[in-house]
Formats: sequence, C-alpha cells, structure tokens
Amino acid sequence: MEQGQKIRGADAVIKVLIAHGVNTIFGYPGGAIMPIYDALHGSSVEHLLSRHEQGAAFAALGYARASGRTGVCFATSGPGATNLVTTLADALLDSVPMVAVTGQVSTSVIGTDAFQEIDMLGMSLSCTKHSFMVTDINELIPTLYQAFEIAASGRPGPVLVDIPKDIQVALLEYKTPLLAVLPEPWHDESDIVAAKALLHAAKKPIIYAGGGVGMANAVSQLREFIKVTGMPSVATLKGLGSITIDTPGYLGMLGMHGSKAANIAVQESDLLVVVGARFDDRVTGRLASFASKAKVLHLDIDAAELDKLRLADVAIASDLRQVLPEITQSLDINPWRDEVQQLQVTHQRDYDCPGELIYAPAMLKRLAQKLPKDSVVSCDVGQHQMWVAQHMWFDRPENHLSSGGLGTMGFGLPAAIGAKVSRPEAMVVAVSGDGSFMMNVQELTTIKRRQLPVKILLIDNQKLGMVKQWQQLFFEERYSETDLSDNPDFVRLASAFDIPGRTIDKACEVEAGLDEMLNAKGAFLLHVAIDYTHNVWPLVPPGAANHDMMDETETQI
Amino acid sequence: MIYDMMLTVHQRAEVLERVLRVIRHRGFKVTSINMQVHENETSMVDIVVESERAITLLSNQLTKLIDVVECQVLPSQIENKLASV
Repeated sequence: MEQGQKIRGADAVIKVLIAHGVNTIFGYPGGAIMPIYDALHGSSVEHLLSRHEQGAAFAALGYARASGRTGVCFATSGPGATNLVTTLADALLDSVPMVAVTGQVSTSVIGTDAFQEIDMLGMSLSCTKHSFMVTDINELIPTLYQAFEIAASGRPGPVLVDIPKDIQVALLEYKTPLLAVLPEPWHDESDIVAAKALLHAAKKPIIYAGGGVGMANAVSQLREFIKVTGMPSVATLKGLGSITIDTPGYLGMLGMHGSKAANIAVQESDLLVVVGARFDDRVTGRLASFASKAKVLHLDIDAAELDKLRLADVAIASDLRQVLPEITQSLDINPWRDEVQQLQVTHQRDYDCPGELIYAPAMLKRLAQKLPKDSVVSCDVGQHQMWVAQHMWFDRPENHLSSGGLGTMGFGLPAAIGAKVSRPEAMVVAVSGDGSFMMNVQELTTIKRRQLPVKILLIDNQKLGMVKQWQQLFFEERYSETDLSDNPDFVRLASAFDIPGRTIDKACEVEAGLDEMLNAKGAFLLHVAIDYTHNVWPLVPPGAANHDMMDETETQI
Repeated sequence: MIYDMMLTVHQRAEVLERVLRVIRHRGFKVTSINMQVHENETSMVDIVVESERAITLLSNQLTKLIDVVECQVLPSQIENKLASV
C-alpha cells in the first residue's frame, strides 16, 4: 500500500487478522457487519459459514483448543451478537483464546433502539475477559491488536470487539500500532525455596493437574516434573491429556465422576500440588473434606485463583513453564508410590457387561484403542462426556475438547468442525449424546458445505441422560422432562445432509460399526442405541466428600 | 465486614459498570462510591464495600480487569486471606 493511501475500517479489520496469522474465520453475516464481509470477499482469509452464530463461535473455540491458536468469529449486531453470548461464556470458563468481532449499528443511532441494536458491550461484561466498542476510527487498529494480545496472554480468554457500521466504512491509513506488552507475572526465589521445602517434607504428595497445563504449553515441563519426582498424579476434565495414561502413578480423572483410585489417593495425600487448576466444585465435592489432610502447593498464572476456595501453604502466580522446572527435584516417596499402585490395582475399571446390549464405556475404550495417534475427540455434555473422560485417553490436552466449566450442550459438533479445520491431518471424532446433538444439529450443513471428514459417534439413550440419572438417584425417580424418545431418525437426518451413517444396537456390532465410521472416506454418523438404564459410575453425590463415592450398587465405598 | 478500596482506572465509558458488576457478582455490596476524573486519562474511584467474604476475593478479581490500573485496599481494613465461601 502506498504511503498515505486510505482504506476502509472494514479492510483494516481483515488486514489485522492477516497480520495475526489468522487463516480461517468462523461466522455468519448480517446487516451491521456487511462492510467487513465485503472486505473479506476476495481476501486471502478463509471464512467458514455456519448456520447459527453459536455454531460459528464453537467452531472457533474448537479451532483454538485443538491448535493452541486464537480462534476468530464474526457475527452481526443484535441477534447475531447475542447468539455469541453462550460461546463467550464457554471460552471464559475454559480460558480459551478467542476474538469475536461483532457488527454494531452506526454510532449516530446507538442508544435509539435502532433495528438489530443491542448493547453488546454491556452484555459482554460478564462473559468476556475483556471487550471493546470502537467509536473512533483511529482506535480501530490498536484495539484489534490489543484484543489479540489480551485473548492469548496470561490466562487466555475471549475478547469481544464491537464495531459500529460507520466505523467499518470510515477511511484510515493503515499503520501497525506500537503496543505495550502486558506484563508477565513473576515470582520470588523465596516462593521456590518454600515450594521445594514443602515437596521435600511430603510423604504422600500428589499432583492435581488442570487445564492450565495445556494452556500454558507446560505439558513437557509437567511430565519432566512427574518423571523426576516420581509423584502420583490425577487430572481434571480439562487436564486430561497433560499426563499420558501409561505414566506410573497416574490415576486418571478425579472428582464427581473421577476414578475411585484418584479420589482416594487425593483424600489420603499429605501434599496437593495443584498445577493450573482451580478447586472447581465438580472436582472437590464437599470442599471442607477435600484432601483435608494435605498441605497445598498451588501454581497458576492467575493470582485470583490462589486462595480463592482453598488456602494454599505456598501459592505461586507465574508461568508454569518457568515454575515447574525450578521446583523439580527427586523425592523419597517409595512407600506412597506403592500404596497408590495398589489403589490402582484394587479399583480397576470393570468392562464386563453381560448381555447383548452395547455398553458405552467398553465401546469408548475400544474407540480409544482404534484411533490413530494424535486424533481429536470433541465431546458434548452429559453422560457420554463423562464416559469419554473415564474410558478414553489422550496424548495431549489439545486432543480432548470438552466444555468443562460452562458445560454447554451443543459444543461438540461445531467444536469438532473447528478442530478439523485447524488440524486437517488429524482424525476428528465428535462424541455426542442425543440431547446435545440436537442443540447444534444445523452444523451438519457446515460439514456438508466444506466436505469435512468429521466422524460423529452419537450415543443415544433417548433420554436427557445425566439429568435422568440425577432424577433417578436424588429426585425419587420423578422423571421430569427428560424423555427424548421422540428423537428423529438420526441416520436419515444425517443422510439429508449427504452424510452416510448406520445404527448399531448390539455389542457384537461395535467392532464393525467403529471400523466403518473410522474408515469412511468422508464424514460419517455412527448412531449407537444404548440402554437408558446405564448410568455414569462411580459418582460423588451432591454435598458428599470425594471418598464417599457411590458405585453401581448404590453403596458407598 | 466493611472495606475501603481505592481504584485507579482507565477512563473508558464502561469502566464503572465493569467494576460494579464484579463487586456484585463476587458477593459484595457498595455502601459508598466517589469517582474523580483526572487529566491523565485515569480516574480514581473510592469505593466502600460490605461483605462477609474476605476482601482479597474481590481485590484479586478487580486487579484482573484490564481497565483497572491499580486496586488498593486501605491497610487497616485488610482481613484474613481466606474467603468464607
């Protein structure tokens, strides 16, 4: 561009995206964002048209979570923008870097209840890491640069940039802004000394690893820490993949639907090393009883997570990549390691389910065995999500996409689309339930449009399964509005989008069904009918301590 | 408990909304507020809040806001670290 040449604000938006290495945007056009879509037309940036703004933004989240890059989505003002709210909240609770650009009515009519006008800046306050409304064309480029910086730095999160239509068509000279880089947290040497002293004194230490490990790119540092210390470990839903399943002393997921071994070991521990995790209520059960004999060493980049729910003996707000190597040291904890190993043996999962029907945990374990290396599994929310977490395994956190914090049904299918776009070489499987699948079913069109070979494993019990399970266990079997037996014929539904599929309902069909799905050239829907009486076990009942888990016989261990 | 906080914030139209939203959501009630706009693109907000919760639960969240430059809790009012949650 020649010096002094002016371009539209809309063109500047696209240029800023290109400058940030954005190659795909997920979105849906509309009136107040038309200049930006006009600038997009013919540009080098690809755009994946969804059929609902929520589908677009979840695809952007899937793209971000599977690749570690910042996801970008576009929506128009009013309903387009409000349709993003759930996805922004999802990204906030799971700390996913996303930049959402929304169109807004022109500045001259803001505040007049104009057509498709909603105060999106006001609406964004509780569901974003930060948000902007650009009201000065000279602020447009610096604001967008700042948005990318904020989204990806520190604890990542969603940033909204609301751009009125007159700003999109106003002219400006494109200049790359000089930005102050946000300060990184730092820690004192005395913190490290104190942390090492805690580790040295511990007889029964255990690692409780969360989603922060993957977000901080600290997987290799954590694995080295585990290797050198020999410490047993557990992971949260979002931490799955940070520690490989064959790691000695790794007991899988803890918490409400965690493994018995993981929960018992945490309860028995005398030092909890919390790495990028936040004492979520689904993890801790009754907080006062959670690892009550343990001291706490809490590592997290977000200082606001430290001492929020559990007072730490040593708390360090810093980059995990820096802290973990500094506290890595060998420990003398062999008796504890033996005890944990014994726990692991005692509480092995039982996959024996007599009868002809399909047992979802066994099927998912089989799927994990069959998946090629570095595949991505994108879950929806509910019983199937917990079965995936319990019975599948992942080599890195980017391979397991699950709406952890917000628990958003409808996440799985569009997130799988985004994952396939960001990692086209990877096998991507959306594991969904019959309730969740219908929440963003329109995105089957997006798969068709782009001919994306996304595999869909739809586990169907004709119930809103997790709610039904709670009604059965805690609401005296009063099954209020959880029957979904009027579901559509899912295979015919997929077929209407040119996606082949088949239904299986017998255990003997699982092998062939999974093979057909995985070997299909393009997208495929494997519809798996299961018995609605199958529940997720074990379970920490509401208000109970994690060692008081219920198993299938409804007795406490 | 009653806490007195002094915030330095960027002068953005929505900054007070952000601060007040966090105060409410994190379980605190505003009992007094005074804002002074400065010439250097910042404003000072003196806020007195009330809650059974520990003030660090709020001050840590306010500090995280991009438009909050500084969040000071007047020393005499700092309570125990752990929140009653």
